[in-house]
Amino acid sequence: MENHFNQPQRQSPIGVLVMFLDTLRQYAKALGPLFVIGILRFNEINKLYLFLGIAAVVLLIAIIAYLRYINFTFYLDDENKEFIINEGVFNKSKTTIQLSKIQQVNINQSLVQRMINVFALDVDTAGSNNKEGEIKAISHPLALELKARLLDNSRVKNKETAHETALEPEAENAPQTFPFINISLLSLLKVGITSNYIKSFSLLLLFFFTVSENVSKVTGRDVLHDEKIVDYVDQSRLVSVFLIGMIVLFLTVLIINLVRIIFKYYDYKITRQKGSLLLSFGLLNTKSTIIKPEKVQITTVSRNFFQKKMDTLQMKIKQATSGEQEERKSAIEIPGCNETERDAILKLLFHKIPEKGIMLTPNFRKLGFALFLTIGLPLLGFYIFRANNPGVAEAVNYLVPVYILFVGLVQFFKFRNYRLFINDSFIIRQSGAWDISNEIIEPSKIQAITTSQLFWHKSLNIGSLTLHTAGGNIAFQLGNYDTIKKYINLWLYEIETSDSNWM
Amino acid sequence: MENFTNNTIDTTQLPKFEEVPFSGLHPNYWKVTLIHIGIFMLIIGFAYSYIFTFMDKTIPNQLEISIGIIVLFVLVLFIARIGFTKKGFAFRNHDVLFRHGIIATNTMVIPYNRIQHVALHEGLISRFFGLSKIEIFTAGGSSSDIEIPGITKEQAENIKQLLMGKIQKEL
Repeated sequence: MENHFNQPQRQSPIGVLVMFLDTLRQYAKALGPLFVIGILRFNEINKLYLFLGIAAVVLLIAIIAYLRYINFTFYLDDENKEFIINEGVFNKSKTTIQLSKIQQVNINQSLVQRMINVFALDVDTAGSNNKEGEIKAISHPLALELKARLLDNSRVKNKETAHETALEPEAENAPQTFPFINISLLSLLKVGITSNYIKSFSLLLLFFFTVSENVSKVTGRDVLHDEKIVDYVDQSRLVSVFLIGMIVLFLTVLIINLVRIIFKYYDYKITRQKGSLLLSFGLLNTKSTIIKPEKVQITTVSRNFFQKKMDTLQMKIKQATSGEQEERKSAIEIPGCNETERDAILKLLFHKIPEKGIMLTPNFRKLGFALFLTIGLPLLGFYIFRANNPGVAEAVNYLVPVYILFVGLVQFFKFRNYRLFINDSFIIRQSGAWDISNEIIEPSKIQAITTSQLFWHKSLNIGSLTLHTAGGNIAFQLGNYDTIKKYINLWLYEIETSDSNWM
Repeated sequence: MENFTNNTIDTTQLPKFEEVPFSGLHPNYWKVTLIHIGIFMLIIGFAYSYIFTFMDKTIPNQLEISIGIIVLFVLVLFIARIGFTKKGFAFRNHDVLFRHGIIATNTMVIPYNRIQHVALHEGLISRFFGLSKIEIFTAGGSSSDIEIPGITKEQAENIKQLLMGKIQKEL
């Protein structure tokens, strides 16, 4: 099937259905209250009118969806190297995307799209925060072909402006389409039980509060302050009830974690394609993204004590972006790979495995300042509060040493793990108290360098360093200033004497 | 091939960014800053005296408040003066340096081959003194952009031309 995409074309015919559901969803938000009223007063309203009304709305939406489908066209303008999307029924809009500006092309599939076997294709550029172009229904072969064309052109542009690495043609000659890493269910289980406790816990809290609020709205009773609960609990059994509650809570968090990770990352496949990495994952909604090694800015490898024992770790890859809000979104996560898989991915991204070189450690003042901020100030606030409200704060007095011990330990480990490793071709910053993460960048990705020194630190010869990249900043505070300055001069020399391609 | 050498770099012989002499901002920029502060303080002063004379003549601690406002004024002036004297810039062959900061001394370096685009900006009062601001943007987001205020219009145009030339060459 040869398709050059240079004629305006519509989406798959079945896409009308996707358009219909999409429009329905949009209007459902607006018409939701009306609908609720309709249900509540079901008996009072003339049923004939009701059904006629519903039928009319559905018909109207169907017509709008059809018009949206008819008016939605996309094509590639080969002459100007642009990808053009026309859309809109009443408000027409024409989106023009320069092929050379395209950063990412994602092929996704939602549940509806999966049922009718079509795919969505998103086009992402560095320019703004949203995805610039979105095609909602396209068949899989067509999607792959279009994606290849879109990315192919940006690749050609890259080659014209900057010299690609010599490794590129070699990789192109041997296209590997089979997944070279396939994250198993077991690895996902390992990740599920060892990470993201806090995230799941807050999700659980959010869920609980939403449910309790809704229940109290409907029944007019408050879930939390129901006297019956107090009656059930015998005072003497309070401790055991509390313990059981804690265990139940912990198990719930664990299960939520597991379910969330499996839904999100089930069947995680990494495929090599023309020197890029193709990722696809998801249980219900299959997502796929592409990573171009030359666009990768910051690579983070993180794991905690349990994960180390189980030989599993997480990776996060940040590609070049320009919008600040986009930074979080564009971090691509690879959960649960083992050490050999990690090395394989790193090798693909950097052509060699990053090694930790010379180690820079922070001055002890960093720990002191952190302790002051996290223990000193809160304690001061607490004592002022206690002095002004006698009797209230005494009940939580015994929590003070627990707090000091816990936060102190966290800060101590944070300080102990805070390191900067500098090697000829890599800069690695290690940080974190429990989850120890290593952020890896290549010196050639540096956009700008900032040094900072407080005036009373001048004689102590300590100072801070911030490396700005197109994927975010990496900072190292209170290190040996002479060493930092020496390396800055070296990096500047390397950046300024070579035409290295940072993107 | 015969021209290719790959000698070890002697890192101690590399040009040192920390020893670069910085040029300060134009003295007229201090006047611009003073006018800005003056306008700000005038607004506060007017508001205070308006409240005092027309609305509420019975404000307690008038003396203290007046002294407070004067101390604030002196403090703002003092900090602004330090900020002004500490700001400095330097254009080397391959990169631009900008130094700023009051408590901490921050030095930012942007290599020319990382610059995305350059803009000139003229404020109302700055224009009166013939000064403009150069804004240098990189792909690293707003935290890695440099804004150098207090440069004469002529010099700013020259710098912009220089930078544009450097960027063009890099491409």
